[in-house]
Amino acid sequence: MNKSKGLFIFLLLGAAWVVSATVGSENNVLVIKADHILTISQGELNPGMILIKKGKIIEIGETIPAIPEDAVLVDVTQTESWVLPGLIEAHTTLGARSRYGGSNSDETSNPNTAQLLIIDGINPFDKRIKYTRMAGITTAMISPGRQNVIGGQSAVLKLIGKTVNDMTLLSPAGIKFSLGEGPKDTYGKKDRLPTTRMGSAFVMRKALIDAQEYAQKQAAFVKRKEQEKNAVPPKRDLQLEPLAQLLNRELTAFIECYRADDIMTALRIVDEFSLKAVLIGCTEGYRVSEEIAKRKIPVVCSPFGIGPRRMETQDIRMDNSAILAKAGVRVIIKSDEALGMGSLRELPLHAALAVKGGLDKKTALRAITLSAAEILGVSDRIGSLEAGKDADLVIFNGDPLHYHTRVDFVIINGQIVFERMQ
Amino acid sequence: MALFLGSFLCAKGDLLVIKNARILTVTRGVIEKGHILIRNGKIDDVGMDIEIPADAEILDAEGKLVTPGLIDSHSHLGLGPSGGVTEDNEGSDPVTPQLRIIDSIHPDGVPPHKHSFQHALSEGVTTIIARPGSGNVIGGQSAALKLLGKTVDDMILVFPCDMKMAMGRKAYGAKGLMPVTKMGVAYLVRQAMLDAQHYKTAWEKYENERKTAPEKQPPKRDLKNEAMTKVLNRELPVHIHASPVDDIMTAVRLSDEFDFFKLSIGHGDESYKVADELAKRGVIVVVGPQMIVFDDEGNLINLADYLVKHGVEVNIMTDADVVQQEFLRFQAALAVKYGMDPGEALRAITINPAKLIGMESRIGSIERGKDADLVIFDGDPFDIRTKVLKVYINGKLAFQADEEREKLK
Repeated sequence: MNKSKGLFIFLLLGAAWVVSATVGSENNVLVIKADHILTISQGELNPGMILIKKGKIIEIGETIPAIPEDAVLVDVTQTESWVLPGLIEAHTTLGARSRYGGSNSDETSNPNTAQLLIIDGINPFDKRIKYTRMAGITTAMISPGRQNVIGGQSAVLKLIGKTVNDMTLLSPAGIKFSLGEGPKDTYGKKDRLPTTRMGSAFVMRKALIDAQEYAQKQAAFVKRKEQEKNAVPPKRDLQLEPLAQLLNRELTAFIECYRADDIMTALRIVDEFSLKAVLIGCTEGYRVSEEIAKRKIPVVCSPFGIGPRRMETQDIRMDNSAILAKAGVRVIIKSDEALGMGSLRELPLHAALAVKGGLDKKTALRAITLSAAEILGVSDRIGSLEAGKDADLVIFNGDPLHYHTRVDFVIINGQIVFERMQ
Repeated sequence: MALFLGSFLCAKGDLLVIKNARILTVTRGVIEKGHILIRNGKIDDVGMDIEIPADAEILDAEGKLVTPGLIDSHSHLGLGPSGGVTEDNEGSDPVTPQLRIIDSIHPDGVPPHKHSFQHALSEGVTTIIARPGSGNVIGGQSAALKLLGKTVDDMILVFPCDMKMAMGRKAYGAKGLMPVTKMGVAYLVRQAMLDAQHYKTAWEKYENERKTAPEKQPPKRDLKNEAMTKVLNRELPVHIHASPVDDIMTAVRLSDEFDFFKLSIGHGDESYKVADELAKRGVIVVVGPQMIVFDDEGNLINLADYLVKHGVEVNIMTDADVVQQEFLRFQAALAVKYGMDPGEALRAITINPAKLIGMESRIGSIERGKDADLVIFDGDPFDIRTKVLKVYINGKLAFQADEEREKLK
């Protein structure tokens, strides 16, 4: 188990061992040297080196010809270590919902709360953020839960920082929608709309039609202003504003849906309003994989039935992501926040389960890195190991999909934020 | 004539040899290229060099790996979804030792867990300990079931196998009923034990008096006290749900007071803090569904491994459906991932739970004379990607991997 023998961190020209806490501070230069580097976008380097400066990847290749004198070297050659981009959890309520505390992820006073920003509900000191980071997950899209039809605006956060402002990579990243049992159960209990699936679809369509009118009014005002300098702008509406951005395809609709009929409802509405959309959950995606594929809509696959099933997730299949991928759908794998195998920390093992279900290994690894970055709109910054991208990386002590493998180092923005005690 | 008939009946199906497999016997090490002879549902012989009857059906398992059928030490299989309408928490009274879990189990599983028994089999689980939930202080009587049979009665291996209790849960607080506090919980257990003592004394008195006065009327039967008398008499082991360390020690205190038989703690998220207290009393911890915890300083604790290394016997469980039944071996794999010895992890899902229910002579290892409950894997049983090829229960083929079955998952 212990593969620490060949693991060294040292200053290239310095004499002493480096205390991790000082490694990679603001201007420090970091060099990673490993036998296996999986760039995700440009194949593998066996072996390879990565030069990191001011939080960015400056250079990556088989060798770095000119290593700066002040560079700190992380040398994991002579071990079975694999270097990957930091892993990305594409959909979670991490930090906004606690197992023991209340929920800050679902404002269940109204089925449409498009005006809410998830960043206003996140606690950066939630210990699970740290535990998740220690497992190599460096970025997550944190989003409202599945109880409201329109939950609010999600955000992509790096899992390091004292304030949400420090953590935020992109906010809003999109608008969270939910169809199926979530809203039905929540509002059915209160005898309020929506108590049915068609009720949920209506809530979504009504909001989008209102947003269309709002957008038209805004556009008319912009035109009027050209002639009439003192034209009075229409009243700002915080709920309709983000939905208008959605209609302009400036924002993505993240639609949580599980059963095949709910997936088709989502697709119907996506078609009607020409939305840029991503499906979340999609337990029965295998039943309508062609429908999803022909619209080129990516899917964030739910876990493989590890945790408690609901009625709407009972027909879960381990080959779901493999079938979707085969149909041509871009697949992203997310974890659960359940216990044991389902926990968020075990994201690579969820990818391994997808491989068990028939997904090829390369796609599975892309599904927890670059594919996730692409659908979240942050692939210019993270998701692969390329020059110019953020230096977010994770060093595994073996094949990341093998259950034996542990995380040895986690680096975010060029800083070593976790180092496993050997 | 009779002899002839006997051997004829054994000829097909009843005599099977699994050949050339890597056999993890659990109790007698690993046999690299061994054979297992199954006769009449039992393991007749196992080893590298065994006599193979000419009329035996042969299954060549070259390159495959065989383990004993896996045993989930704590499950709510067949009882409905947690959080939904469940059949495992009789929420009308916090003290229900009279309830029998077997009266709540649907042998196919109920939606959304329809086919959950088949799913469990398909990942090598052959026996489960099904328990009442933790909504009540005393939940009722648990059962050990083999996952083969049309009715729950066919499935029963041991019933009752223990009394389920739960510390620290205060579900009745909202109703304004005791227990509102943790001390209320402990009190209810003590009161139930004292009631059982009175009940037992009344019956003993009656039995004595009857010898001289046959007209004496027996005391009224009381199903609660009858069940608790078995706990009192140490006929029935006790399993207590407890996660925080205060609840764990309350369970231990009650056990010290009433001398519980074979106390096991379920979950025990903070049990690492009192591992020495548990070790010295021989208290068993059934770890899961949370396998990994973090201490107050934020250090990762691999709970099952930590406990074993501190002298506590450990079982590993799914708490299905909190983690679905079929993921039992992956629960153990997580413990191995974070440093537990794989042999120890395998024991925690085979022989240790067998011992917990007193069935170590029947199940939990591959040994001569034991039930032929076996799983054939195509590789390391803890690897996520490894497939289960065949599962036998009592020598009968209970699951076989094929395309159609795979799709059921």
